[in-house]
Amino acid sequence: MGLITEKLPALVEPVPGGSVLLSSLDAVINWARSNSLWPLTFGTSCCAIEVMMAAGAARHDLARFGAEVTRPSPRQADLLVVAGTIVRKMAPRLKLLYEQMAEPRYVIATGSCAISGGPFIYNNYSTVRGADEIIPVDVYVPGCPPRPEAFFYGILMLQKLIREGESLRTPGVRRKPVLAALPAGITIEQIQQELRELLEPQGGRR
Amino acid sequence: MSAIVTTLEQRIGRGATTQEFFVNMGPQHPSTHGVLRLVLKLEGETVKDVIPVLGYVHRGVEKMGEHLSYRQFVHLTDRLDYLSALANNWAVAKAVEKAAGIETNERIETIRTLVAELQRIASHQLWWGVFGMDLGAFTPFLYGFRDRERITDILEETIGARLTMNYIQPGGVMFDLHPDFQRKVKEFIAYFRPKLEEYETLLSRNIIAQERMRGVGVLEAAQAVALGATGPVLRASGVAHDLRKSEPYGVYGKVEFDVPVGARGDCWDRYWVRIEEIRQSLRIIEQLIENIPEGKHLLVKPAVRTKVPEGITYSQVETARGVFGVLLVSDGKDVPYRIHVRTPNFNNLWAITRIAPGWRVADLVTMISSLDIVVPDIDR
Repeated sequence: MGLITEKLPALVEPVPGGSVLLSSLDAVINWARSNSLWPLTFGTSCCAIEVMMAAGAARHDLARFGAEVTRPSPRQADLLVVAGTIVRKMAPRLKLLYEQMAEPRYVIATGSCAISGGPFIYNNYSTVRGADEIIPVDVYVPGCPPRPEAFFYGILMLQKLIREGESLRTPGVRRKPVLAALPAGITIEQIQQELRELLEPQGGRR
Repeated sequence: MSAIVTTLEQRIGRGATTQEFFVNMGPQHPSTHGVLRLVLKLEGETVKDVIPVLGYVHRGVEKMGEHLSYRQFVHLTDRLDYLSALANNWAVAKAVEKAAGIETNERIETIRTLVAELQRIASHQLWWGVFGMDLGAFTPFLYGFRDRERITDILEETIGARLTMNYIQPGGVMFDLHPDFQRKVKEFIAYFRPKLEEYETLLSRNIIAQERMRGVGVLEAAQAVALGATGPVLRASGVAHDLRKSEPYGVYGKVEFDVPVGARGDCWDRYWVRIEEIRQSLRIIEQLIENIPEGKHLLVKPAVRTKVPEGITYSQVETARGVFGVLLVSDGKDVPYRIHVRTPNFNNLWAITRIAPGWRVADLVTMISSLDIVVPDIDR
């Protein structure tokens, strides 16, 4: 027991009875991650007003979903909200921003422009037809621009996606499990062993 | 504190210089309001020169306009300066009406003026909040958006959109006013007047905000005119140029309002002019809201493809940021041969190259914010 409580306190959840609930490592990590998304302050055009500013302000209050800590540096953020048109000159920068973010990283494409190019598809020489031509996108939020409520639905979908560890693109198929980096000197086998010892005396109930 | 902080001069000796170096500010930077890239030539922390690099959200709106009918082009102007979408729509509608000889009635013009003024207030509220945030105060952001949501609600009831309106079209407006419009606008004015005083108490009379604004980034009147700056940026420099006064359109000729003018052209003047413009907009709305004339709200068929006779037409309106002009070149078809938009932010942006040299990087953020730029409007 000592290993988990002392070295990995984030993986333990106290329950009212005073005992410890640990269903699986993935579930706990995913639960924690899904409820503390840190978005990158990034908006190219109109959608930024709605999904970054109005959503974060007093009436809509993004903080209710644990995603209000916007970070200007991609190295500190784990959620990239592509809010607005991506043009060819911006595309390499968007890719760079995405690559600078630490894993696991998630992407929400908000608005028609980030989904498909939106009103700027036809007779146009400069726009990229959707952010997913450059970076992988997890959740799409339609609208031009989407209301803050629509964006919240997107956030909730992303939280669900993170919790279940699967992608909406391939429903039902689990992605590579999202695992935190373990402290030096601790292996996953040790934790599994300790978990097994913890769970054995309770008759093997999971 | 002063004992701990040693200046460069103390450490190296008087007359020491540092190497000049270039730093990118943007395209992704929280205080460039979008994807504006500024290349800063710095000496220590002092800005020597600012070189704006544009095009990170260039969407080719003018080229697209050559393939769209005039009614279809209206919705693209929403997405230029999205904070004054209605004024942008109005500029296109005005140009087409002027070129094709479409008459409008009193009700249409009154509705246009009312909604445009409401959005001017909303735009300045947003600017006020973001300006506070750029100075390092988060509370104005929350206050500004709290009140902006009320205007958004009013406009949403009539128009059906919160931001990209696509409402004013050649020959009228898309929908008639919502029955609750008058009542809600009156309620809003009664609600917002005391709140505006709160804004003043919170930020305008804050000594830190004053210290950061007064005397910072002075733009001379001659410079402002030479740059083609318009709107509050020009008026703060002491030039009383407001299209609503100098060549009245809509029903601005029939209402009383003042054009606030700054004295020095520093950040404080630009701040004060915008706050004062909110008051004037409230005055305009108060005069118009009581008796909106009766009549039809749309005098052409909703989806008609207007044919514009051959020729060149220019029309301009005063948005929350300055003069927004539309130049139509028509060859007699229902799509323009060439359409050019003159956007206020493009010219206002270049003021930064004149006012920033000599100031610190932290002051540069104040100056960018006081110019109130919207980047898609610059890049088009």
